[in-house]
Amino acid sequence: MINIKNLQSIAKKEQDKLSKYKGMLMVCTGTGCVSAGGMDIKKEFTNALVRHKIENDYLVVGTGCNGFCAVGPICVLQPDQTFYQKLTHKDIERIVKNHLLEGNVVKDLLYKDSSDGKLKEKMNDIKFFTKQMLIALRNKGLIDPENIYHYLARRGYESLRKVIIEMDPDQVIDTIIKSGLRGRGGGGFPTGIKWRSAKKAAEGGIVYIVCNADEGDPGAYMDRSIVETDPHTVIEGMLIGAYAVGAREGFIYIRNEYPLAMTRLEKALDQAKEAGLLGSNIMETDFSFDIKIHRGAGAFVCGESSALMTSMSGLAGEPKAKYIHTVEVGFRDKPTVLNNVETWANIPVIIEKGVDWFTSIGTGDVKDNPWNGSSGTKVFSLVGDIRNTGLVEVPMGISLREIIEEIGGGIPNGRTFKAVQTGGPSGGCLPASKLDMPVDFDSLTRAGSMMGSGGMIVMDDKTCMVDVARYFIDFLIDESCGKCTPCREGLFALNQILTRICHGEGKEKDLEDLREISQTITDASLCQLGGSAPNPVISTLDYFTQEYIEHIQEKKCRSGVCKNLIDYRIDENNCTGCTICFKNCPVEAITGEIQKVHKIDLDKCIKCGICFEVCKFNAVIIK
Amino acid sequence: MSKRMIDVLVNDKKKIQVAEGSSLIKPLLEAGIVIPTLCYHKDLTSDGSCRLCMVEIEAKGKRRMVTSCNYPVRDELKVWTLTDKIKKHRKILAEMYLGRFPNVKVVQDVAKQCGASDKTRFQSDITDYNEKACILCGKCVRACKEFILEKIIDFAGRGIKRHITMPFGEVDPHCVGCTYCSYICPTGSIEVIDDLNNPFDPKLIRDHGMKVNAEMATLDSGQCCMREVGTANIVEVMDRYDLLPVHNFKFGSHPDTPKMDSMVLRQKYFSQEQADACWKGCSMACAKAVDGFKLKTGPYKGQKVVVDGPEYETSAGCSNMGCFDPDFVVEFNFYCDTYGIDTISMATGTAFAMECFEAGLLTLEDTGGKELKFGSGDAVLECLHEMSRGEGFGLKIGQGIRVLKNELKKKFPEKAQWLEDIGMEVKGLEYSEYVSKESLAQQAGYSLAVKGPQHDEAWLIFMDMVNNQIPTFEDKAEALYYFPLFRTWFGLMGLCKIVWNDVVPADNAKKHPPQVAAKIPEHVENYWKFFEGMTGKPLDEQGMLNQSARVHNLQRIICLMMGYGQREDDMPPYRAVGPVTEEEYLSREDRYDKQLQDNLNVDPTKLDLQQKMELTREFRYEQYNKVIDAAYKRRGWNEKGIPTIERLKELGIALPELVGIIEKYQN
Repeated sequence: MINIKNLQSIAKKEQDKLSKYKGMLMVCTGTGCVSAGGMDIKKEFTNALVRHKIENDYLVVGTGCNGFCAVGPICVLQPDQTFYQKLTHKDIERIVKNHLLEGNVVKDLLYKDSSDGKLKEKMNDIKFFTKQMLIALRNKGLIDPENIYHYLARRGYESLRKVIIEMDPDQVIDTIIKSGLRGRGGGGFPTGIKWRSAKKAAEGGIVYIVCNADEGDPGAYMDRSIVETDPHTVIEGMLIGAYAVGAREGFIYIRNEYPLAMTRLEKALDQAKEAGLLGSNIMETDFSFDIKIHRGAGAFVCGESSALMTSMSGLAGEPKAKYIHTVEVGFRDKPTVLNNVETWANIPVIIEKGVDWFTSIGTGDVKDNPWNGSSGTKVFSLVGDIRNTGLVEVPMGISLREIIEEIGGGIPNGRTFKAVQTGGPSGGCLPASKLDMPVDFDSLTRAGSMMGSGGMIVMDDKTCMVDVARYFIDFLIDESCGKCTPCREGLFALNQILTRICHGEGKEKDLEDLREISQTITDASLCQLGGSAPNPVISTLDYFTQEYIEHIQEKKCRSGVCKNLIDYRIDENNCTGCTICFKNCPVEAITGEIQKVHKIDLDKCIKCGICFEVCKFNAVIIK
Repeated sequence: MSKRMIDVLVNDKKKIQVAEGSSLIKPLLEAGIVIPTLCYHKDLTSDGSCRLCMVEIEAKGKRRMVTSCNYPVRDELKVWTLTDKIKKHRKILAEMYLGRFPNVKVVQDVAKQCGASDKTRFQSDITDYNEKACILCGKCVRACKEFILEKIIDFAGRGIKRHITMPFGEVDPHCVGCTYCSYICPTGSIEVIDDLNNPFDPKLIRDHGMKVNAEMATLDSGQCCMREVGTANIVEVMDRYDLLPVHNFKFGSHPDTPKMDSMVLRQKYFSQEQADACWKGCSMACAKAVDGFKLKTGPYKGQKVVVDGPEYETSAGCSNMGCFDPDFVVEFNFYCDTYGIDTISMATGTAFAMECFEAGLLTLEDTGGKELKFGSGDAVLECLHEMSRGEGFGLKIGQGIRVLKNELKKKFPEKAQWLEDIGMEVKGLEYSEYVSKESLAQQAGYSLAVKGPQHDEAWLIFMDMVNNQIPTFEDKAEALYYFPLFRTWFGLMGLCKIVWNDVVPADNAKKHPPQVAAKIPEHVENYWKFFEGMTGKPLDEQGMLNQSARVHNLQRIICLMMGYGQREDDMPPYRAVGPVTEEEYLSREDRYDKQLQDNLNVDPTKLDLQQKMELTREFRYEQYNKVIDAAYKRRGWNEKGIPTIERLKELGIALPELVGIIEKYQN
């Protein structure tokens, strides 16, 4: 059993044990790399070490998500940081033989930076990583998430020990308030203030701690990755929160579609309990706190606090009016502290490194008032039309341009940047003119978007912004619980109008209608899902008005996305008469002969776009 | 408990007061302000889903929009109900409703209020042109949950696919057919297709049933908490008023009562987090249960069982035996139920045996070695198990107080009067668990009851002692006429009495003089309407009382035939009337002394204890005799307690067989 006296010696013992290895092969076993064969890579490394009889010199570790998902499966050799990418089964033997035994780096498995065309041997040479700053993800790629001793070796549970022996609960709350930490789940509410309110409302009675791991934004997987990478940091964060507010019971609300995260979390909870770090008399003190997992069924709205708590009590996840906040009357009608995974993951580091260090990162002066800025870092999942898709953690205040162009490596396939959507489906789409804007809570809100939980979808110039707005509203129609009228009927109406515009049947009055209906949805909806749902419409109307106007007046979709507004034609200059388009046309709309220019019969064409996709000579064009 | 009233300034001119924590819509509507809404209902929890009732408020310097149906007022505030912003949003919301449900009357009405008339703006493929379309207000869902404590209908489908359904889209066999979903539906989209036993006027029944349900849903938690703890709530009330039987009715309260009162049951015992009713669909659902209770004695020792109860009389029976351990109460409850033994008779009979044991009239030899003292729960349970097997001293208790009393009288003739005084039975039936000493009305209510001193026929103690609604002699006599007949009527109709007076209209006490308030006139009317709705025959007070009186007089005559129907059979043991022992007198000496002073104008300081007790006894029996004289008269009985032939004629039941029985007692 671990207690406040032996924690450090146990950690030291593990550090010594690990330092005896010549090197450690950190194989990414996050969900992305696993689906690309990561587990097999890990197994093959183990086999290869045995084959070459060096299994006692090197340790193979399956880590959580490395973040650079675009180039998985990944293996990083520690401590020298050699970064091998896009690995296949047959590459392993070479790495072990050439690199581990003979000391020659396997060049063709290194990452090549497209901006300078150079191979990058070390992880820290790669721009994707150099601009990042890791707090919540500080242990990514460095530990086996299923081994509590790896976490302990990285000073794990040291912050918990510190609060128990050095700080009284109010001091902990005070530290979190002063750190300026704001909720990473969407609202950006100051975490410490939330804790203080819940504690006050509880008046020494029952208070619950809940971790929101119900990440519902499409394309966003920050929280899943943190749990898969470093589950103990979330547990430690919750323990510190429980100590601060006086909670004895906590819950992690995690969606059932995250099987790997769930397994790792369950293992971590078991290990923590077994080690005496969770349950009764933690670290052999009189502090007791236990955590249970609550599986969510994957409704987007269950990320909203009152809906999440309704769902936790066994009812359909529908929000309630929050005139009385869940910090006062929450789960089982008791004061409840709800923070998301990333927020909890920040807590141990803030305790360890202190307020001054944390507030030195980010924007604004938050020490006197957490609302004055955004301290610390934020994890984003960078997806869409971008070269380096993956998970990144950056200091608050970094510009969108740095994230997209430097870390993300810019837009691939020779296209240009058009918009970036932050904050999930109900966030807003920001144009190129906003690229130099600092990324923090308040700047994003001012620009008509939001931080949300950290989704960042990059769109290139072949994206139609009207279609994007329609797409997100369509998603939200499915995810709206349907309880209140503006969200239920209003989103449906927005979708009707947007669909009409995309079909080329838009009317002048539609723009005004979109704005008016959006305003009512924003102002009159019951919960924040509804309140923010029109953001994609409003922000695209604000920043891409011209595209709407073109759709309505000229019946034109400049990006060639809205099928009703485009025609596929053959460019006579480029067509070689290869026949591949007419062989593939499902409706026989293309005529022509070998080596003669083909022709598309527009009456027959159903605009499926197959000819466009299959043509190798850019001879099918969109008009 | 009255709540803090908070000032609310409405539309910059009108000031209203709202109770802290209450919503705005009710006082706003009462103040005559138009607030359009489709989902609000005064008797249901507001869920703020239609959003039409939005108003702008300013509290603590912050201005914002809130839904008036569920925004809880906590601080002084200003409200604007019709700003441009509100008007704009309401109009759009109303247009959304019009677009989707253009032909529904309530939607059209609300649209008019909101200045919306455009049916086309939100028209789409899913527009429902049905006049009776469901508008998703959710009143039926809430009614099912909050009135009937069921969840038979609910929403399914997310977003635009939201709809009302029963589980898996099938008719749920758990639906009791209470029809309140249909009643409360503002559009008529829920139709009842069952004939529901073919009542004459189902709407009349529903109209009044609805009142009962609404009162239960909105008032019970602030009144008797019947849904939460059932009749167990009376334990602490009776203790507070010195009416809870303790040690064979010697005393009316005990310092240990808090160990087993309803607070304890609620926190540690009642385990089903749901309503438990005699029949599914009862909106009061006052039956309670203890799950997973591990038995300590008897044939099922060590097993975990479900115990139905405990209710008031069971708990009070235990205090009467001096047993205040809640574990004992639950175990006693379980075995009485399991053996088919009435907890009241068992408790009162055992309490009598305990007093005799403590007085030395019963010995260890008699009891088979059991120390049958007050408070010895183990001995009680052993007697109970013996009783079930028909052996030992348990069998003796099982034969009733009258048998045991007569045996002891023979054995201890010098204690005959004392045994008569403390043997708590009338007509051979053990007393129910209320101390009637200070309530003349309850004394007579008990002992005049046809089947013996059971509270079901005339439970007057609450109105006499707690609510003080029948202060005068005449009031009491009138109550002894009215209530036994009224309560007999429940039995005749097969209706539950509890929803008559365990929840009362909020303004009942304000609206009526005490004697009338005691009857709870609005609730009596509910019952008449149920009768009329079922049979088609209107009923009034006289009609109702006459229905009962026929049966009640018939019962009295049957009682007479069986040898229990005369004045001497209506005489209570003195323990039910006044203090039998010195210990009892002294325990409430101030009260009894004061009564001597007030009622008999004697100076108690000049008398010794024995004299005081004799005078008290004399006075109390005299009062008792007077009250039953008055009650007999009011009932149409002679001074012997026999129905007169005129009374039978008046009721139309002067049948020769009956007249033949009572004739000889007429003079």
